[in-house]
Amino acid sequence: MNKVKSFFSKSYVWLIMLFFYLPIFYVMLFSFNESKSLTRFTGFSLQWYKKMFETRTIREAIYYTIIIAVLATIISTIIGTLTAIGLSKSKKVLREVVLQVNDLPMMNPDIVTAIGFMLLFTSLSIEKGFGTILLAHIVFCIPYVILTVMPRLRQLDDNLAEAALDLGATPFQALTKVIIPQLKSSIVAGALIAFTMSFDDFVISFFTSGPAVNTVAIYVYSSIKRINPTINALSTIIVLIVTIVLVLMNVVPMIKNRKKEEGFEK
Amino acid sequence: MKKIICYLLVVMLVLPLVGCNKGEKSDFDPIAEFGSDELYVYNWGEYIGENTIDEFERRYNVTVHYKTFDSNEEMYTTLLGGDSYDIIVPSDYMVERLIKENMIQKLDISLITNIDNIADNLDSPNYDPDHSYSIPYFQGTVGIVYDTTKVDPQEVEEKGWDILFDSKYAGQVYMYDADRDNFMPAMKALGFSLNTNDPNEIQQCYDLLMKQRKEVNPGYVTDEVNDDMINGLKALAVVYSGAASYIISENEDMAYCEPYQGTNIWSDAMCIPSNAKNVKLAHAWINFNLEKEVAIDNSLYVGYTSGNKLALEELSNGEFKDISSYKIRTGYPLDEEYHDDESLKKTLGELWTHVKAGN
Amino acid sequence: MCWPYIGWLLAFVVAPMILILLYAFTKQGNSVLMLNFTLENFAKFFSDSIFPAVLWRSLKIAFMTTVVCLLLGYPAAYFIAKMDEKKQAFFILLITLPMWINMLIRTYAWKGILSFTDMSSQIKVMIGMVYNFLPFMILQIHASLSKLDKNLIVAANDLGANNVQTFLRVVLPLSIPGIISGITLVFLPAVSSFFIPKLLGGGEYVLIGNLIENYFISVGDWNYGSAISLIMAMVIIISMYFTKKADKKVGGEE
Repeated sequence: MNKVKSFFSKSYVWLIMLFFYLPIFYVMLFSFNESKSLTRFTGFSLQWYKKMFETRTIREAIYYTIIIAVLATIISTIIGTLTAIGLSKSKKVLREVVLQVNDLPMMNPDIVTAIGFMLLFTSLSIEKGFGTILLAHIVFCIPYVILTVMPRLRQLDDNLAEAALDLGATPFQALTKVIIPQLKSSIVAGALIAFTMSFDDFVISFFTSGPAVNTVAIYVYSSIKRINPTINALSTIIVLIVTIVLVLMNVVPMIKNRKKEEGFEK
Repeated sequence: MKKIICYLLVVMLVLPLVGCNKGEKSDFDPIAEFGSDELYVYNWGEYIGENTIDEFERRYNVTVHYKTFDSNEEMYTTLLGGDSYDIIVPSDYMVERLIKENMIQKLDISLITNIDNIADNLDSPNYDPDHSYSIPYFQGTVGIVYDTTKVDPQEVEEKGWDILFDSKYAGQVYMYDADRDNFMPAMKALGFSLNTNDPNEIQQCYDLLMKQRKEVNPGYVTDEVNDDMINGLKALAVVYSGAASYIISENEDMAYCEPYQGTNIWSDAMCIPSNAKNVKLAHAWINFNLEKEVAIDNSLYVGYTSGNKLALEELSNGEFKDISSYKIRTGYPLDEEYHDDESLKKTLGELWTHVKAGN
Repeated sequence: MCWPYIGWLLAFVVAPMILILLYAFTKQGNSVLMLNFTLENFAKFFSDSIFPAVLWRSLKIAFMTTVVCLLLGYPAAYFIAKMDEKKQAFFILLITLPMWINMLIRTYAWKGILSFTDMSSQIKVMIGMVYNFLPFMILQIHASLSKLDKNLIVAANDLGANNVQTFLRVVLPLSIPGIISGITLVFLPAVSSFFIPKLLGGGEYVLIGNLIENYFISVGDWNYGSAISLIMAMVIIISMYFTKKADKKVGGEE
């Protein structure tokens, strides 16, 4: 009975994975396409990889995309987590109001947020560039982090932090040694979502980046009508790197463990 | 988990730096010549030759920051937001608007020595008759791409735009998803000017498009449809001539028709915004893109009809000899350019939204 | 500890929203704000039957997307949460990996895959949305399930509850906060999404996000665009209010 159950649950999870990876395989396949088409495979070629490495505009866009996504994720995860913890300790009315306002950037269509930012920066006559796009990304990432960390906070036992304080821990120690470790999985989830949001955004980036900063999403969006598989090549490389690292991380410890066990047997 | 993510980030940050730059720069001193060594270019996506930027950078020892947009209106909005580019490439009606609103500056023609290379039919465009603000880059028409295995060429030539409204082809039609481009076939089919702002005529066009929506059930798409036409998913599509060239070069069964009722003839042009910071270098960019070899390189890669007469002549007798849509129809009295008319654009935009949202 | 963020919210979320608000209540004039207050934009929205219909359609498809994401995502999150910790990390990374590929590219891939089928625009748009938002739902629910105190389940079983009872009485109520977050994370962006319907809906399937984008960019009427997005925001706030109320009833806390 249990075996049937576990078989069922495993196949279900794998089916969901298949759903997630179907378009990814499709993207990878067309990165090797000979022609420009993204729906008709005409033959094998590596030209899009070559092009990707040769075109500085694309390399620059990749660079900015990653830097912005990483910085926005780190900063918004820190601010978001601390705010969530703070909110959970504050008065209910305040919390409700803040959470409501917090929903705004998620709820507004990107174009509204984008125009709002543009108006803000323009009326303060701030020249748009790396700083403004990063700021905008942090602003729209934080709500996702707060939203992800909040529910876990509601499950937490307040007494633990208090016990730590009673036992002589400073508030900072209580925070870093007691509260945050318990929030770990939701902080990671929040960070992942923030990363994705930053990575995928193009409308807000388009209107807040200024002339000098380019991102992959802007590049893709503005050429999607006449797109070519260069971006597929980039995607394939990302998938490849992530997979390799994943395998290494999973296999290396396994081999180590086996060696240890063998060592004991001897 | 932490480790994994750290590794990933390191690898991904290093990756973009690995690329191979074809180094060797010239001895040219851009600061002495142009007063700056950086240029900010704002162009349509996938609208430049593969080597153009590299060439320019190498010759003049400068850095080009190249950014792309997807529509005239998007570009216009970022300009409103105060972004300062040195080169932009708006379409005809947008050039007109930018001139009206003082958002682009007068060119110093003495710096554009290759000005004689402009294609004959663009010698004196309505939007800027003496090229004091703009230098043509690409040009084209709007027409119908059709599948010769499903539609008789003679029928398309005879009916022109009317064929799009024929319920015989229900489910087989792609219309172009942009306010003015969607109204244009209806306007021309009914024999109106595509710049008409007669409410009665516009209403008739709207009714026709609504009727088409009900009876023909067209898809409303932009150039992302190119692949679908190459795959022969539908029989008829309204496309730009440059897109038609690409479709025909990938699928021999497809053909291009410029309807006899007249169509939209358009051009995109290089301009220098009023708030540009590197004006001299911007002129050098314009002049560079007017060179024969550069224009050929651009047109070969993009597939759109060049605004440069030398490139046009060479390519239409060479590489694009068999692609009928590359040689666009010029001098046909019923063909028109769009004029800048903000209220018309708004009216059409609203009606168009209704057509799309309808049912 | 949350005061700095409140300042931040005021500066970067509320301030731009006030600018948008000004546009919604004023007439034409994109570059200069002429403070001529008017309700014309709102009157226009409701006097035209098409716009409320589009809003309704958007809410409907966002709601359906959320339901499907919940139904597909909950079991997945639950099964993953039951695995041992290493496997959990593995699967969570596996779910995350596709998100490292730009959303536009993934949606474009779906367009390619679906172009060979004969589904209605609505179904295609829904597949695209579920695909795009499902990972968020799974991550949220998983985060709330993975740290569930296993002793509670053991205790429930000891007290004679069968698996179904344990799930309904213990596991499900405890994961409600995660579910609510998941719903919020899927529903809010789904209502206003514009790229997925634009690409997968073949242009004839217009949602409120497309409408707003259209008015801001193509038509260039920021005033009306702002008004539409304000109306949409109000409708969503009201619907979220009821969701949260339901949460409190089911969750039974506070």
